[in-house]
Amino acid sequence: MSVLQYLQAFFADLREQDIPVTTSQVRDCCQGLLLIDWSNRDYFYSTFFSTLVKDYSYQKAFDEVFNRFFKEYLRPENRQHFRFVQANKNSRPQEETAVSDYDIGMGNPMGKGGTAQAPGGKKNPLQQDFGRISAEELAGIEAMVPLLARRLAAKFVKKRKRNDQNRLDFRRTIRSSLSTGGIPLNLFTTRKYREKPVILILCDVSGSVMNFSCIALALIASLERFFQHIESYAFIDEVSDITGLLLSGNPFNFRAHVLRNAQVVGVTGYTNYGHTLEEFHKRFRHRINRKTSVLIFGDARNNWQEHGKWALKDIKSQAKKVYWFNPEPMSRWNTGDSIINDYVPYCDRVFACPNLAELEKSLAKI
Amino acid sequence: MDNMQIMKGKMLQAGYICDDKVATVLYLAGAMQKPILVEGPAGVGKTAIAQAFSLVTELPLIRLQCYEGLDEAKALYEWNYKRQLLHIQAVSNKNLSVQQIEEDIFLDNFLLTRPLLKSITSDSPTVLLIDEIDKVDFEFEAMLLELLSEFQITIPEIGTVRARHQPFVFLTSNATRELSEALKRRCLYLYLDFPPKEMEQQILMLKIPNLPPSLAEKVAQVVRQLRRLELKKPPSIAESIDWAAALLWLGKEDLDVETTLQTLTTVVKYREDQEKLERIIYRDRDLNFRT
Repeated sequence: MSVLQYLQAFFADLREQDIPVTTSQVRDCCQGLLLIDWSNRDYFYSTFFSTLVKDYSYQKAFDEVFNRFFKEYLRPENRQHFRFVQANKNSRPQEETAVSDYDIGMGNPMGKGGTAQAPGGKKNPLQQDFGRISAEELAGIEAMVPLLARRLAAKFVKKRKRNDQNRLDFRRTIRSSLSTGGIPLNLFTTRKYREKPVILILCDVSGSVMNFSCIALALIASLERFFQHIESYAFIDEVSDITGLLLSGNPFNFRAHVLRNAQVVGVTGYTNYGHTLEEFHKRFRHRINRKTSVLIFGDARNNWQEHGKWALKDIKSQAKKVYWFNPEPMSRWNTGDSIINDYVPYCDRVFACPNLAELEKSLAKI
Repeated sequence: MDNMQIMKGKMLQAGYICDDKVATVLYLAGAMQKPILVEGPAGVGKTAIAQAFSLVTELPLIRLQCYEGLDEAKALYEWNYKRQLLHIQAVSNKNLSVQQIEEDIFLDNFLLTRPLLKSITSDSPTVLLIDEIDKVDFEFEAMLLELLSEFQITIPEIGTVRARHQPFVFLTSNATRELSEALKRRCLYLYLDFPPKEMEQQILMLKIPNLPPSLAEKVAQVVRQLRRLELKKPPSIAESIDWAAALLWLGKEDLDVETTLQTLTTVVKYREDQEKLERIIYRDRDLNFRT
C-alpha cells in the first residue's frame, strides 16, 4: 500500500469516527508532513493533530484511530524504513502526490474498528421519530444537535441586532457642540438597553421520554455554550438545577450524567409533573421575572398523580412566555396518563415535536 | 538539531518552555504561513506563547483584545472624524471646491489605524495576537475570516490595502462559544493543557531563578493535585508561580500543611474553593487532597 493510500484510509477512518476532515485539511496535513522528520513521534502526531482536528473534544477519537494506524509504524525497528521514505521525499515537489509513490512497508491497519457503515436508505436523522429509534440512531441525531443550536443562536443574535440600532442623541450632541463653537465634535447616541435572552429550561429526564430527553439535554448543553443567560433544571419527581452541569461530561451520556449528579429522583421515582411544578415554584420562583422565557420539555405523562397546574399558572403570570415541547405526536396527547390538556391553558404555545426537524421548527418560532 | 529543537531552544530563551508537540505546531505555522488557533483552560499560557514567539522572531507584537461588542471601528480602522471636521472648518473660508476638500479629508493622516490594519500595513512582518476570539460575535468572525485568508482590507474611500508582509497570527479562545468551522479550518489547531509536573517545575524554576528545586517540585505537585479537584477555578500556571514566589518571599524551604493554609489565598481565588480546600486539609492533615 502506498503512503498516500494509507493516509487516505486513515482520513476515511477519521471521518467514520465523525471527525470532520475536509479536503483542505488533508492538503494542509500532507504539506505539513513534508516539512517534518517522521521518525519523531511527537512531531508526527502533532502535525496530524494540528491540521486535522479543530476541536479538543475529538482528541480521544482521534488518538484511537491514530494509534491503530501508526503505532506499528512508529516502532524503532521500522525507523530504518522511514529514513528511506524521508530521503526520497525531500527530492520531490511539495505536493500531495509527492508521497504517493512510496511503500509504507506495512499491511492493513490493525483491526479496523468502525465497521458499521451507514446503511443506505436510512431516514434523515432530522425526520426520525424520537419514540422509536435505536441507540445508534439516537447518537446520529445527537450529532446534529450542536448544528441546530448554532442555527438557533444565529437567529436569536440577528433578532437582537435589529433592535439594537443606536440613534443620535440630538440634544446631548448639540449641547456638547456649544463648547466647540457649534461644531459637533462629539457625537452622542442613545443607549438602548440590550436585553439578554433569559431562558429557563425545565427538562423531563424520566424513562418514558428517554430519547427525547437525551436530545433536549444535548440541546441545552449547546445552547449554554452560546448564551450566558440560560438556566436549566431537570426533573423526574424532584426538580434540580443542572445549569453548567452539562458543560463537563460526555455528550453521549448526558442523561446518565444528570441522573448521577443531580437530585432528580424523589420519593417514588415516577414522573410527577404536579410535584415538580410545585417544587419548582417554591424553590426557583424568584429566578423568573418578566424577561424570562420558560421552556418545558416533557410528555406530561403524570402517572395519574396531582397535576399542580396552579403552579404553572403562577409561573406563567410571572414569566414573559411559557412554551411546552411535547415529544408525542398530537394524536397521542391526553391518552392514558397524559394530562397535557391540563397545562395547555397556561402555556403561550404547546408544540408537538416527535422529531428533530419539528423541534427545530418549533424552537425557531419562539 | 532539527528545526523543532531550535524552536524549542529559542522559546526557552524567551522564557517559554514548550514540548516537542507545541514546537512542531509553531514551526509548521511559520513554514506553512498559517494562523494558529490556541485553545485551552484559562491560565495555561495561551497569550504568553504569542508573546514569547514575538520575542523569538524579534517581530513587534500587535495585540487585539476581543470583547463582546467589538466592532470594525475598534479592530480595523476608523476615520478621525474630529480632525476631519476641524479641517473642514479651517479651510471653509479658502474657497476650495467640494471635491478638493473631500480628497483632503480622506487621506491616510485622517485615518486611525486599529490593530488589524496596523498589522498588515506595518513595514516589517508582525506577530498578530487576537486574544479571546470567542468573545466576539459571528459577524466579526466572518470579517476576520476574510482578513485571515486574503490579508487585505478594503477601505471604501482609499481602496484595498494589501499586506506587505503576512503577519504571524495567533488566535486564542477559551471555548466559551464554538467558533465557525471555516475559521477553524483556516488555522492550525493547538490545544494547550496544564503541563505535566516536571514541566511545571521547570517553568517555576525558570520564572523564579533562586527557587530551590525541592520547593518547586512540591509546589508543582500540590498544584497538580488541586487541579484534579473540582474547583470553581483551578489554579493557573501564573498562580502557581505567584504561590512559589510568595513561599520564597516568606523564606519557606518546604511546603507543609501550615504553610499551605497560610498562603492558600495566592493559589485559589474563590471563597468557596478556599473553604473546600481548607476542609480537606483539616480532615486529612496532609496535602494529598483525596476526594
